[in-house]
Amino acid sequence: MLNDMDASLKREALKDIKQKIKAGKWRESFDSLAELSSPDDDFVLQTKYASLFKDMAEHLPELKKIRVAVLGSSTVTHFNDVLKFWLAREGFAASIYEAEYSTIHQTIIDPHSQLYEFKPDVVFVFTHYRDIKCELPAGSGPAVVEQTIAAAVNECVSLWKALRQKSNCHIIQSNADLPYHRVFGNYETTPVWGPTHILRQFNLNLAKALEPGVSLLDLDFLASVYGRRKWHDSRFWYHSKHAFALDATGLVAHQLAKTIGAIKGTAKKCLVLDLDNTLWGGVIADDGLEGIILGHGPAGEAFVDFQRYVLKLKERGIILAVCSKNEEDIAKEVFLKHPDMVLKLEDIVVFKANWKDKAGNIRDIAESLNIGLDSIVFVDDNPAERELVKTVLPMVNVVRMPEDPSDYIEALCSGSHFETVLFSDEDTIRSTYYRSNIERAGFQSQFSDIADYLRSLDMEMIVGEFDEFHLPRIAQLINKSNQFHLTTTRYTESEISAIRQDKLRTGLYFKLKDRFGDNGLISAVILQQQPDASMVIDTWVMSCRVLSRGVEEFICSEIISLAHRQKCRKVIGKYIPTAKNKLVVDLYGRLHFHRTQETQGTTLWELSLKDDSPCYSSFIKKINAGIKTTGGLK
Amino acid sequence: MDTKLGIKTRLNRVFREVFDDDSIEIFDEMTAKDIPEWDSLMHIILVVAVEKEFIVRLNAAQVGQLKNVGEMLDLLEKHNNR
Repeated sequence: MLNDMDASLKREALKDIKQKIKAGKWRESFDSLAELSSPDDDFVLQTKYASLFKDMAEHLPELKKIRVAVLGSSTVTHFNDVLKFWLAREGFAASIYEAEYSTIHQTIIDPHSQLYEFKPDVVFVFTHYRDIKCELPAGSGPAVVEQTIAAAVNECVSLWKALRQKSNCHIIQSNADLPYHRVFGNYETTPVWGPTHILRQFNLNLAKALEPGVSLLDLDFLASVYGRRKWHDSRFWYHSKHAFALDATGLVAHQLAKTIGAIKGTAKKCLVLDLDNTLWGGVIADDGLEGIILGHGPAGEAFVDFQRYVLKLKERGIILAVCSKNEEDIAKEVFLKHPDMVLKLEDIVVFKANWKDKAGNIRDIAESLNIGLDSIVFVDDNPAERELVKTVLPMVNVVRMPEDPSDYIEALCSGSHFETVLFSDEDTIRSTYYRSNIERAGFQSQFSDIADYLRSLDMEMIVGEFDEFHLPRIAQLINKSNQFHLTTTRYTESEISAIRQDKLRTGLYFKLKDRFGDNGLISAVILQQQPDASMVIDTWVMSCRVLSRGVEEFICSEIISLAHRQKCRKVIGKYIPTAKNKLVVDLYGRLHFHRTQETQGTTLWELSLKDDSPCYSSFIKKINAGIKTTGGLK
Repeated sequence: MDTKLGIKTRLNRVFREVFDDDSIEIFDEMTAKDIPEWDSLMHIILVVAVEKEFIVRLNAAQVGQLKNVGEMLDLLEKHNNR
């Protein structure tokens, strides 16, 4: 396997990639580089990746532009180059603004600093333990300790506030990487005034002080993953003010890139699992229920723990699917009858056990869940299956599984596929949504008339203006959705929060319920009123779970009635094409808007409110947030 | 134990890799002026690469002082003979 290669073999492989770059095979060379590189690779290799990437960067048009500012209390020049490469692996073409060494405070406070001219999407405030001024004399009392820590946390908070006043960026703040040296040795963690105790408390309080639009980069965790003794390489602090060992550059850059990806919605949604030798040892069709390895013995325990980890992923909102070469009945029997199975059939939203090729099955899974292939992570012990999926569906994230089931959790975990910067109530019950959708599909087949079916669903929609309570879910929907997203606008929580104070903008959310259960908050709309009495639909995003149920028509009539109330004369819709939102290319056409403009695929649509507004048929009962009313629809 | 010539050959390979230039031939009096890319940032990569190749750990002062190739060779030879 490539990633088990040692550094000198990787350096050899880089020569081939260089040839490919010379030949102008940009995408191919980037893919090879991606395959070769690991966050754990040493500093020299990371700088090679960065410099090779520099040669191909401008030839990879599919990368999305992003502007990142790194404000460091240490030297970050090499780090930033490496970060660019790891951001590219997340699908971003990054421009990076590097503040002068150790000018965090000045850069943020000065309204004329180049930082604000740069207009960053994300600002990384990269401090480390030396910046946290919390040292106290041994024996200090708890009140003094508390005050000192609060003051240190406040210093961060006030910088975020200053930054947010002048910019709509999302902020990432690093915490304190605990030092290796301890004056009191092991005892240091015990008394409240102990330097180790204080820094730990600082890290906890810092996390509590976070506000929407600010996320934490857990530098202390990275130090422990890397090995704290090696992490603190003071030679390069004294020589050139590098905050951590240079060989940890890839690890930190990778984590930061993943966190930025999570902010911008590139996190994965669905985990597709093989069965034999992935969830249990052995082959169920050959070994039988009593013969498979699960629950007992070293491997059996490892498989149980892997299942427990997967179950926890499901509980935090990752959709689980099965894709296995098996007879369906035999495969399902393990879930139903084996006493040591942790995962139950109801945890699996789509179950594909058949003899078709796995790439085709994965494509079916993505389709039935209405999610993109790039939001799928595939786990299979069989290298041949992995290779097939990688070749046929390069956008699927294929985990390189080790031979030993003891290492399965680590392999899945270390890819950081499921990073997130927020968690909403929706996440805990996401699986239920998808499961009820599949039940709905079964129910639908009983009806020959689509109207009868929709009527029988007893749909109710709660409509409300954006509020603090729904903010995390709204931000998640706007930033994670790709398919039903007319303009693919991405807004941070702080930007969305700002809409509530803006008289000319309105944000509406929609929550749908029906006889099969709660679908949750499934759509958000941001409307912008223009001086010429038109209402522009700046953002319209909807979960694909609720397609073809008259929801679009319902939402559109809500937009129209709001426009009426605000005395607007027309509603303007915009469609900006991306690789993923073809689904809604003609949405406004279907809703009886007239196309007024087309430039490079971007279309503008207009609906005049002077004439009678179009009459949409819908079978959804409206409930105003807080107040229950009937009707709502013409 | 490596001879001085052996060390020089290995160091030459490190230089070629770091500066990505297979035509580099190091010589004792060679300094940063002789390689346009050899700035303070590249110097750090060079030092880390040298540490890896020769399995040595230079101290902070040495990291900054290795101004020419000859000094580097002397230092590596000393480490080697320890």
